[in-house]
Amino acid sequence: MAKQHKWGMVVDIDRCIGCQACVIACQSENNVPINEEVDFLSRRAKQWIRIDRFWEGEYPNVKARFIPVFCQHCDNAPCEPVCPTYATYHNDQGLNVQVYNRCVGTRYCANNCPYQVRFFNFFNPSWPESLWNQLNPDVTVRSRGIMEKCTFCVQRIRRAERLIEGQKGEELTDQKIKDGNFMPACVNACPTDTLVFGDLNDETSEVVRKSKSDRSYRLFAELGTEPSVFYLKKVDPAAKSH
Amino acid sequence: MISKLKYIPMVLGPLIMTAVVIVLAIFILRAWWTTPFQVFGMGEPPEQPIAFPHTQHVKIDGISCAFCHQNVIRGDAATMPAVEQCLFCHATIQGDTAPPEVAKVVAHFESGTPINWKKIHRLPDHVQFSHEPHVRFLTQTQGLGIEAACATCHGDVRNMVEVEQVRRLKMGDCVDCHRDNIYLTDNKDITDCVTCHY
Repeated sequence: MAKQHKWGMVVDIDRCIGCQACVIACQSENNVPINEEVDFLSRRAKQWIRIDRFWEGEYPNVKARFIPVFCQHCDNAPCEPVCPTYATYHNDQGLNVQVYNRCVGTRYCANNCPYQVRFFNFFNPSWPESLWNQLNPDVTVRSRGIMEKCTFCVQRIRRAERLIEGQKGEELTDQKIKDGNFMPACVNACPTDTLVFGDLNDETSEVVRKSKSDRSYRLFAELGTEPSVFYLKKVDPAAKSH
Repeated sequence: MISKLKYIPMVLGPLIMTAVVIVLAIFILRAWWTTPFQVFGMGEPPEQPIAFPHTQHVKIDGISCAFCHQNVIRGDAATMPAVEQCLFCHATIQGDTAPPEVAKVVAHFESGTPINWKKIHRLPDHVQFSHEPHVRFLTQTQGLGIEAACATCHGDVRNMVEVEQVRRLKMGDCVDCHRDNIYLTDNKDITDCVTCHY
């Protein structure tokens, strides 16, 4: 039995400049419809990855703080046990999976998620005609009435498996996935290498090395959800000590 | 006498109701079982813009599946060949000696328009299927030839004048095979939902 993957991510907040490139990359990769102002006001906007922004300090000494938040792929995910149809579950690669054709749209999972990263399709998605050919054929276009969320770009993982196992005749490892540059869309787009994707079971991988940093913490770790996403604290000597 | 008559509605009501339910159930079940399972292209193949006989090309001429459907061994879709590829052979095989359908291909080539073949084997949008790993498994792990590998799902196309679908290609079809062969792919769980649904 080959070693199982456990995909994970490290987010170095010290590097994040809040440019939203990851948000755009995710939307175009995963067929997420375009959010307009009215979508945000009616709380129907879908953002698989979002940049939470915080202002710190008083004018003129104001600092902007950014945290990219997306599905944490918790080992002990609160969304999974509440699903009545097993549409969301944990697979053996450490992914929190959303199976669209099983989902019946009860929205229990979104209500139970402390990170607010699950989004319900209240309407059928629509795009302007100029973007119809831009849709990614590897990703299902989710119709009305089902839940969706970050998948760690599982379509890219599957494609990497096919390419590496098929053409090179080898098994997928963290090193090879790095060589082939098979990353989730947000990681590919990040200009400052804030996001690092890799195999948490591979001791040589960059995510393992970074996740053992002194600055490492996990969002809402006190809830016991055991997320697969590690955040690295901002290094700021001028910051207020909490 | 009157005292006995008043019980008749109490007995008759349930009896009538039971009879109605049974008749309805028989009606629904009969409609359910006798309605044929409709799959597009299964049983009655659709008419294609050009009557392309696989019997001639595969059986008599001995052309491999992957010669025309080139992408089947390296990509997601098997792909229909471009009109230019038909002209590999039909640049010489045309005119009076060739069947009249060949003239249509040449006309498409000269006008530079693609042929609107009707797609027969269709999967729902929420299924992500790739030919390459399946052909790789059947040819390398199972040791089948490329024709036999294709025939596993597409049937005996070499004897089809009009191509039709022979397997329903519903999820049961997929899972049967994935479950039977799970011991051959020990590095991953191929009955996992995200193998196909994402």
